[in-house]
Amino acid sequence: MLIFTFRRLNLFIFTMLLLTLLSFSLSFLFPGDAIINISGAINATPSQLIEIQNAYKTDSNIFWQYIAYLSHIANGDLGLSMASQSKISTEVLNLLPATIELSLVALFIAMFIGIPLGFIAAIKHNKTADNVILSISMLGYSIPVFWLGLLAILTFSISLGWFPSAGQISLLFEIELVTGIQFIDILISDSPYKWQAFADASAHVILPASVIAVAPATIFIRLARTSMIEVLETSYIRAASAKGLTFQQIIFRHAIRNALIKIIRHVGLQFANLVTIAMVTEVIFSWPGIGRWLIESIYQRDYTAIQSGLLVLSCFIFVVHILTDFIYAALNPLARGNKYGS
Amino acid sequence: MARDKIYLEEVFPSPFMQLWQIFRKTPVAMVGFSCFIFLIILAVFGPILAPHSPIEGQLDMLLLPPAWHVDGNVSYLLGTDELGRDMLSRLMYGTSLTFGLSFIVVVISLVIGVVIGSLSALTSGIKSSFLNHFLDVILSIPSLLLAIIIVAILGPGISNTVWAVVMVLIPQFIHITRYAVKEESKKDYVLASKLDGANPFRILYYSIFPNIVDRIMSQATLAQSAAILDIATLGFLGLGAQIPLPEWGAILANGLDLFYIAPWTVYLPGLAILFAVVATNLVGEGIRHALKLRKER
Repeated sequence: MLIFTFRRLNLFIFTMLLLTLLSFSLSFLFPGDAIINISGAINATPSQLIEIQNAYKTDSNIFWQYIAYLSHIANGDLGLSMASQSKISTEVLNLLPATIELSLVALFIAMFIGIPLGFIAAIKHNKTADNVILSISMLGYSIPVFWLGLLAILTFSISLGWFPSAGQISLLFEIELVTGIQFIDILISDSPYKWQAFADASAHVILPASVIAVAPATIFIRLARTSMIEVLETSYIRAASAKGLTFQQIIFRHAIRNALIKIIRHVGLQFANLVTIAMVTEVIFSWPGIGRWLIESIYQRDYTAIQSGLLVLSCFIFVVHILTDFIYAALNPLARGNKYGS
Repeated sequence: MARDKIYLEEVFPSPFMQLWQIFRKTPVAMVGFSCFIFLIILAVFGPILAPHSPIEGQLDMLLLPPAWHVDGNVSYLLGTDELGRDMLSRLMYGTSLTFGLSFIVVVISLVIGVVIGSLSALTSGIKSSFLNHFLDVILSIPSLLLAIIIVAILGPGISNTVWAVVMVLIPQFIHITRYAVKEESKKDYVLASKLDGANPFRILYYSIFPNIVDRIMSQATLAQSAAILDIATLGFLGLGAQIPLPEWGAILANGLDLFYIAPWTVYLPGLAILFAVVATNLVGEGIRHALKLRKER
């Protein structure tokens, strides 16, 4: 496990270096002056500009400029937003939790719907149920997400009126921002209308989260199906059925556990996909998350925000990736051992 | 009776032909394949076949519902939008923009990706390990996010969208080619031709490529469905095709304000995107199914 941790840590540092290098080089690739792109100080007076140039070491060579940029990031300074002239790091800290909340809820919905359906498809392999589930999953990952979101708003918000169509919570509730994750904030707040606020926030999250969950759920169906089929063909399942265990016992005690481990490994990979879908969905549902902020900063040509947004979002995805790798390794001893040779 | 074949000669079809023989026996895959061909024909000839102009509107025909509706007009089969532009013509022109461009995008990124991937498969050691990690990093960034960043650098517009999606798709092709070439070169038939004294490029071209072309095709269908969705999403967000262009995502975004009065301006482009992606995915599923069956033989 120690060597495994070390390898992951190594990969993590390497990736962080590459990602910062990418976002550093973006400031040169974007139109305009690199120093203004990187700091976001569009209204700086000449004396302030000289100060910023000293801070980012523009007169020394590119390597030291990069080091200066890294030290700025390490101090939590991502520059100013060109559009609003407020600090990007505080904006990101306010917005990122909303995205985390939305994508985690979506991930859980996708897993709770996708994985059991995949197992059913695998158990009924090559029968009608299998074909129906597979066709639905094919349709699910072919639907363009913005279209699905619009249809969902039209049916569930406008025609049926079941769920609100936009935002994170009704403006009537005053919830203090502590962690940024709405549900935790509501639970720790001492508002007398705590439970109404909680119900309102859940009603707001269901529709966007379900729209995001559709595509990952179909991928979980396929993953669960293939891994279950593989598990059911192994010799230990045959041994269990030779022992005389009933079908339920085999599935619940042996097959599901072994099949789940293989799926957990792919959760991290799917997460990148899910965040992309979440970005578009945030725009449609006016969810106050980082995806909508990023797309809006593209409309406003806010290069500093785009640059930092890319860095923050991809770091977030990568951290989730590494975390799932650790969970996988903790659950499956085989994953820790056989990496020695490679 | 004439005998065409005097000698009993056993013909071994190439791996690609074997795949095709299994593929055409799967009805669902063939349906998808015919839809795919239909879309390609529409993408090429759509501008000639379209009954009206996609950009010029008829001011006396605003927001006409589709022909099967009571107020519909049969010469505007799928209705018109808020400027009186014929939806059917717009969708037909849109085929060559959304579907046709995504096809071109996939071809370009396939060629570049396969070349880089197979060259990198021939290298080993630190260079190879660096490339591997580098690809991992690029693949860990969501494709749409990367496309959005590239569009932000280049500026909005349909041609910049195309380049952005090409750049996003290349790493996937590099990854799959590299992996497939490495896997194949461990096999005995490659060793045999190596012992015959073939140089690496000859081995790559004559021995390995015919055996991995099917896997690359399967990746290409995945890439194509991703490309259609990416181009449409960028169009929807206003970062891709600009206003008068009848790109499916842009048409959809255009109809957004009229969603409640004229729902067909939103339903129809969405259905078109769905149809194109489903057709592509059916072909992809067919290829993967045939690959699996061939392996089991």
